[in-house]
Amino acid sequence: MKATTTDQRLRIAIGVFCLIGIGIAGYLTYVHYAGLKVLCLSSGGCETVQASRYAKLGGIPVATLGLVGYILILGSLALRGETGRAVGFGLALFGFCFSMYLTYRELFTIHAICQWCVSSAVVMTIVVILTVVRWLLYADDVEPARARATPVQSR
Amino acid sequence: MASRKAQREEARARRLAEEKARQERDRRQRRLRMIGGVVIAAIAVAVVAIAISSGGGHKGGLAKGTAATKTVAQVQSLLQGIPQDGTRLGNPKAPVTMTYYGDLQCPVCQAFTLNGFKELVSKDVRTGKVQVVYKALQTATRDQQTFQLQQVAALAAGQQQRFWNYAELFYHEQGQEDSGYVNESYLDSLAQQVPGLNMSTWRNDRNSSSLGSQVNSDADQAAAVGANATPTLVFKGPKGQAQPVSGDIPYDSLQHTINSVS
Repeated sequence: MKATTTDQRLRIAIGVFCLIGIGIAGYLTYVHYAGLKVLCLSSGGCETVQASRYAKLGGIPVATLGLVGYILILGSLALRGETGRAVGFGLALFGFCFSMYLTYRELFTIHAICQWCVSSAVVMTIVVILTVVRWLLYADDVEPARARATPVQSR
Repeated sequence: MASRKAQREEARARRLAEEKARQERDRRQRRLRMIGGVVIAAIAVAVVAIAISSGGGHKGGLAKGTAATKTVAQVQSLLQGIPQDGTRLGNPKAPVTMTYYGDLQCPVCQAFTLNGFKELVSKDVRTGKVQVVYKALQTATRDQQTFQLQQVAALAAGQQQRFWNYAELFYHEQGQEDSGYVNESYLDSLAQQVPGLNMSTWRNDRNSSSLGSQVNSDADQAAAVGANATPTLVFKGPKGQAQPVSGDIPYDSLQHTINSVS
């Protein structure tokens, strides 16, 4: 019961952060395809980052890839059992690694910071932590409870 | 009898405990393998994505043979007939001035120079509507010494009214970032590609202290307009000065800004 409640809370937290991520990535995808100027706090930082070659991967804007990633992580919450947790964590880990790479490029190659991208990187970092905690909690609490409920064959 | 029954119960309990411990061990090992598998798979996919992102672009480097001839011809066809004076490109009486803060090693500047800027030169600089002034701002170049070296090399070409030929060739033949491709041999080879450049004069001019000071003065001016990224473009015309814009700006946006100040 306790494990289920914790899991429920983690699922809600992951869902909320995924929705924030969808908002950020969705906005950047929208301005890209609509040809609009990105709202940015720093002078031109977002435009410089969005205009750089690192803003696309194989011709697809990285914001769009991020949007798809957040949607898939959100979708993984609907999957039952360990598979759903593994898929969610795997996607979040990939997103986290790629976000770190993009932040590195912003700082050391493009020399401009896009607050939207940094916000998404922070959200993805939180999501990867939550998904790994959710998976590890499953290993420690839920599964033993099931194991106890399963009668062991005596020899 | 009671003793034998107790022994059997004890043995059974022991077996159950062992079985449970074994299942628990298997379960932990299976989970560990699964976690390891997921971590490796996620990192492997991320590495592939990073490799595509890092290497998918223009690899570049100094062009040789027919590729060099083609690049030189492209640059020549873009700039031929357009007046140059130092870092200025275009008619000095053109009503709109675009100040281009750039770093010759900056890949975003390369993208801009080869796309939106090219169209601007063909349509607005050539027709005398816009003049462009280049100013140096260190961003992508790692060390100050190399930055100074490459910028002075371009400015020295400017002493022979060929700054833009040199800068354009530099952007066209930009090497892999952070590979340390900019050295004496690279700068010399680019100079040799500039049609009509007197090499011995160019080499002498590279020692000019005034050109070195110009690089520092450009940095001060960049700070004054708040430029901290490259390329940053500042448009000034009869209607005043537009807000500086940064990045690989497409021609349509450039045109919009030009119209707002002219």
